Amino acid sequence: MNYVWHLLVLAILYALLGSSLNLLCGYTGLVSLCHAAFYGLGAYCSAILMTKAGLGFFPAALVCVVLTGLASLAVAVPTLRLRGDYFILATLGFQIIVFSTLQNWVSLTNGPYGITGIPIPSIMGFSFDSPLLYLLLTVIVCAPCAAATRMLVQSQFGRALRCVREDEIAAASLGKDVPRLKICAFVIAAALAAVCGVMFAGYSRYIDPTSFSVAESIFILSVVIIGGAGNLAGPVVGAAFMVLFPEVIGFIGLPDAVAANLRQVIYGVALVWLMRFRPQGIVGDYGFD
Amino acid sequence: MIRCSRISKSFGGLKAVNLTWPAVEFEPGKVTAVIGPNGAGKTTLFHLMGGTLRPDSGTITYRGKRLDGLKPWDISRMGVGRLFQDVRVFERMTALENLLAAFPAQPGENPFYAVFRASHVRTIDNLNRDTAAGLLERVGLRGFENALAGELSYGQQKLLAIARLMAADADALLLDEPTAGVNPAMIGVLQSIIRDLGSAGRTVVVIEHNMDVVLAVADWVLFMDEGDIVLMSTPEDVLSDPGVRAAYLGM
Repeated sequence: MNYVWHLLVLAILYALLGSSLNLLCGYTGLVSLCHAAFYGLGAYCSAILMTKAGLGFFPAALVCVVLTGLASLAVAVPTLRLRGDYFILATLGFQIIVFSTLQNWVSLTNGPYGITGIPIPSIMGFSFDSPLLYLLLTVIVCAPCAAATRMLVQSQFGRALRCVREDEIAAASLGKDVPRLKICAFVIAAALAAVCGVMFAGYSRYIDPTSFSVAESIFILSVVIIGGAGNLAGPVVGAAFMVLFPEVIGFIGLPDAVAANLRQVIYGVALVWLMRFRPQGIVGDYGFD
Repeated sequence: MIRCSRISKSFGGLKAVNLTWPAVEFEPGKVTAVIGPNGAGKTTLFHLMGGTLRPDSGTITYRGKRLDGLKPWDISRMGVGRLFQDVRVFERMTALENLLAAFPAQPGENPFYAVFRASHVRTIDNLNRDTAAGLLERVGLRGFENALAGELSYGQQKLLAIARLMAADADALLLDEPTAGVNPAMIGVLQSIIRDLGSAGRTVVVIEHNMDVVLAVADWVLFMDEGDIVLMSTPEDVLSDPGVRAAYLGM
């Protein structure tokens, strides 16, 4: 049973990562390749605060979200002036900077060896030390985040973001402060990714830079594209597919070496097939142009 | 009142707009038509007034406040609205959403309000929804509330864009070819809408190539050529001017 709880924790984290990225690429029309960087900043920041500064899980989480939000603001202000492809390249650049920093700032991050011994999250002496309890904690933390995301996209804010996605010039001519809206979306998405990072660090209790590489950013983007961008259910369906589907292959009983490669092949085929026949994803209603 | 004073704008050394007049004024309660051959600088003039382009020199004021140098959203919030020549509806949003997005001063566009004052935000949206439905009916798009704007015909998109501008409740309206591509029956509706906007005390400026429409709606006509205004007068005077007839109307 523990294995099922484990998968559910991962699926929920990827659903929230996807939903937060969806704010950017689905609703605002900004494709970002640095979501894993913010995810990693959240994870590393909480790991360092808990292991080196001795902070508790929740205070560390709060600090992480604020710091990651500030970092994303620093990235957003210069890069959001760029349009289309140039913005994507700039986010890719930031992703590589963060990865290299995690890999090379050994005195702080312990470099490629990663950080071990991250304490189990606990609140007032109650420790979330089994997969089922951690699942409970994940739900407690992620549900309000998901609810807030839902309120945002269904509100006038979400509608203004979609106006920006559809036509920046028309949106500006209707009083929408386009740069401000984009920056808000970028910072909120990054802060939510940081929440996921904190939850991941507390769960795996060991993190290293490979979990936050460009490949991870692309994986999160795939969650959004396969599930469906610009739609609340999309990233949830995408996360379920991307996290749970490989496990189904595992049950067939293929040798590990074959199964791992087969997964990559299936992801690739799924992406190509969707782009060709259903560019809006499994449940989405907005195709990438 | 919008007032343009000696504004100019060049693209790569070519003067697109070069108003030599000390003051060109667009008055409230009047419909002013801007006519002239292609490339005369009419749309560029709108870009300058709407903030999508900055003038190289000269000043533009609205109700005594400088517009030049402001961002388009600031100009919009001051009450100047634009209809684009290429309509620019929000294609993957419904007709109703296109209108709802346009209402001025929406508190829920602040993400903090959207989450923590959600019910207040929803109340405002529901009020706007009724107004929006009325506006869609006014422009003949009743029943298209939930149609995606991108799936409407070009003429319908134009009507939708006009309804959107009315939802924005702009006090000054810059309309770039409102009747181009619209069927004759709807042109009549548009003419009456434009006239009503003018008689409601708003400042209306229309770029128009259809001289029947100009005669029907305009109180005042500016004839532009090579970036400057050549003639300002009543529609009858301008259209009977021998220079205009030869250079623009081809008569």
